[in-house]
Amino acid sequence: MLTRRLIACLDVRDARVVKGVQFVGLREVGDPVELATRYEVEGADEIVYLDIAASAEERVTLFDLARRTAERLFIPLTIGGGIRTVDDIAAALRAGADKVGLNSAAVRRPEVLSEGAARFGAQCIVASIDAKWEDGRYRVYTHGGRTPTDLEAVGWAAECAARGAGEILLTSIDRDGARDGYDLALTRAVADAVSVPVIASGGAGNAAHVCAALSQGGADAALVAGILHDGVVTVADLKRAMRDAGLAVREAA
Amino acid sequence: MKITVFDYGAGNLHSLVKVLAGENDRVVLETDIARALATDLLVLPGVGAFSAAAAQLAPALNPLRTALRDGLPCLGICLGMQLLFEASDEGPGEGIGLFAGRVTRLDAARVPQIGWNAVEQASDPLFARANLRSAYYANSFACRPRDLSGVVAWSTHDGDRFPAAVRAGSTLGVQFHPEKSSAPGVSFVRQFLTAIREGGRSC
Repeated sequence: MLTRRLIACLDVRDARVVKGVQFVGLREVGDPVELATRYEVEGADEIVYLDIAASAEERVTLFDLARRTAERLFIPLTIGGGIRTVDDIAAALRAGADKVGLNSAAVRRPEVLSEGAARFGAQCIVASIDAKWEDGRYRVYTHGGRTPTDLEAVGWAAECAARGAGEILLTSIDRDGARDGYDLALTRAVADAVSVPVIASGGAGNAAHVCAALSQGGADAALVAGILHDGVVTVADLKRAMRDAGLAVREAA
Repeated sequence: MKITVFDYGAGNLHSLVKVLAGENDRVVLETDIARALATDLLVLPGVGAFSAAAAQLAPALNPLRTALRDGLPCLGICLGMQLLFEASDEGPGEGIGLFAGRVTRLDAARVPQIGWNAVEQASDPLFARANLRSAYYANSFACRPRDLSGVVAWSTHDGDRFPAAVRAGSTLGVQFHPEKSSAPGVSFVRQFLTAIREGGRSC
């Protein structure tokens, strides 16, 4: 039976880990490779690097970081932020990523999802969606939560999956960094609308929040960041809580 | 021992190369399949699409078949395992056909299967030696062998039971990604290398 995943997310900038609160107020928390390998040992199922600068100049630094990480990390690594074209996807995978997250680029040109899936397989194309509750619906934002679009998140997730995305990384902008729980209604709506795995993101404050995202929210995976980096909980704490809640969890080696 | 990773040009090979690079082994990446056969162990890695990869095997498909049947050790991972079969519903192209059967889409509510799944009924000793009980998968398709005697481990996704690993002599195909299955996965590959090194072509 496929187990539910706990994914440690490292927001990176200049090859350092940072974590913001509602996408602003950045502070540096450590070396990505050290943190990623530590989380692997503690039982994390995957690692995500999100490049929050997402600029062309930063991409070289990010790919170098992916390369250094891939040589030491033996669980899957997803990188996102600033990936725009199929050539960028190729370069990211070549550098050491197992999966690539596409956000603003997919909104601007959805064909990049199908092109990437055709060339590399759907399993490495992650549609990353940032959503905010506005006027009675979930509006999709791009560019790190700064730019509103006309897209509605649930419909957009379904379109991403139809176009070839093999996974949806769904972040609630309202909850990001707030530590008051994932947006369960948003997560459930998207999980029900697509047949690809959904990763819930934004709002983890404790182990119960993670369990709720996976049970009530219907997510296949939960993404956590700040509470791990700050030592509020450990990966082992979260995995134990998931197991105690009756969720299928990978057996520790 | 010379280990050759066939490079379809489609994915992350860093972790795999790192896992394969033992003390006295030399790991080379090769994009020409004919040249890739001059090796002690051929590795068919796991990222890409069936048709594109089959097209890259096509120029030396018969020499490749002969080499594997004559005992050239081979490790096929994910797509690499699927290429050991005859054909795939993912797209046109001829597989190696070392194992009889097709590759078809997973019959499951959530596809692709992405994540860690239990390895069941593992009969190959490598699994016990490596303590590999749960492995990382990222696949939309799975192999359907006509002869089940080659299946040495199974997994089940949403009720669809499929081969986690197949074995024919010194050729091993795994549907999961050992290089992404943390310490037990790394150990699994290294145990396979040890067996090949000790047993050579008769392993």
